[in-house]
Amino acid sequence: MPAAVTAANVSDDPQKYEIEHVHSVYEEIAPHFSSTRYKPWPIIAQFLASLPAGWVGLDSGTGNGKYLPLPLDRPGDVWTIGLDRSRNLLEIARSAGAKRREVVWGDVLDGPWRPGVFDYAISIATIHHLSTHERRREAIQRLLECISPLHGRALIYVWAIEQDDLSKRSITSAQPKAAISVQEDISPAGQDVFVPWVLSAQKSLKSNGARESSASPRQSPQEDDVEGTQEAKSKVFNRYYHMFAKGELPTLVSAAARGLGLDVGDPDDINQGGGTRGIQIVQDGWERSNYYIELRRWEK
Amino acid sequence: MVRLITHNLLACHAKGCTSNNFPLQLKDVQVELRDAEYNADFLRGFISRIEWPALVDAARQLGDTSLPNEPPEMMDDDFLQKLHHVLLEIHIEEGAMICPNCAHVYPISNGIPNMLLAEHEIG
Repeated sequence: MPAAVTAANVSDDPQKYEIEHVHSVYEEIAPHFSSTRYKPWPIIAQFLASLPAGWVGLDSGTGNGKYLPLPLDRPGDVWTIGLDRSRNLLEIARSAGAKRREVVWGDVLDGPWRPGVFDYAISIATIHHLSTHERRREAIQRLLECISPLHGRALIYVWAIEQDDLSKRSITSAQPKAAISVQEDISPAGQDVFVPWVLSAQKSLKSNGARESSASPRQSPQEDDVEGTQEAKSKVFNRYYHMFAKGELPTLVSAAARGLGLDVGDPDDINQGGGTRGIQIVQDGWERSNYYIELRRWEK
Repeated sequence: MVRLITHNLLACHAKGCTSNNFPLQLKDVQVELRDAEYNADFLRGFISRIEWPALVDAARQLGDTSLPNEPPEMMDDDFLQKLHHVLLEIHIEEGAMICPNCAHVYPISNGIPNMLLAEHEIG
């Protein structure tokens, strides 16, 4: 069933907004969500396959940990540590690929690491859940800070306004297109939307069962509503997304780097008088309804 | 999970706590040993990234005294097997990690460390 996307207005405290419209939703839908997220995307798999043996990395917003076992043909050559805000997703991620993984309960806006300790970092389908430009920039800065200033590599994926024809998500005729202005107004500022997740009653029970097995200190009042509606046929959870506009992701990454005093560009092209530390954008593009960007840090 | 590979990467990130914030001290920990796949290539590549004294101390606190005070120049298979065991086969299931600088407590429950901060602790 195609799920319709509706406009969202971020209001009040962005952190509280995300607790209600992102974190508590993932706590509820974790098992069902995870059962639909198992296939690694090609560019991400290629990135992980290109890493040399002995590297350690961070998967910031690991979800169900589907990237933690990669590369599959060289198991244990690299170790990716998974971080997520959803305790219930981490309970799944900890045994992704039927082996024990390293996972940490934390926030993508925090940096609970030795600075520059990782050789690489990935952030897949995560930064688009942050509800202000400033918070999205800060999340990228945490990524840039946690990788080696000499050789660190990073790959970021976010959801795009420009959607694939094959995408399951569509704007149904019942939803006026103007509601999110996907076609009419391609603004570099992107679009704030709700993306519904439909949980059937049966799945809802499973989800509640999973939730009871762990304790979250930050459960939202919303959860009480779920308890009361279990007999309902299904429940719709609206997740907040910031859909990125064309060009927005490289602009955001560049602003994040400059905010840390890093140059942006090829170190060989940066003239004398430029900085001695920076990032280089290795590739950026659009794949299957997402924008991605790969970068590396350099120092000279 | 908190194996010692992860413990060697984590640092306190509470507001204003930017020095002497590593390594986090282990407290009241329960440990389980589980076999992990041995990968010498990983260990040889990773060893330069390890904060060695922190790893040796943490291992000794958990009752493993197999590692030398300094990493050896010759990384033979015997040494790499010991390193493998310390880094990847000792799982801290319950307990806490405490910042040596600000004494912030990061609980470990069901093998997952809680590195979230309360709102007033965020830098």
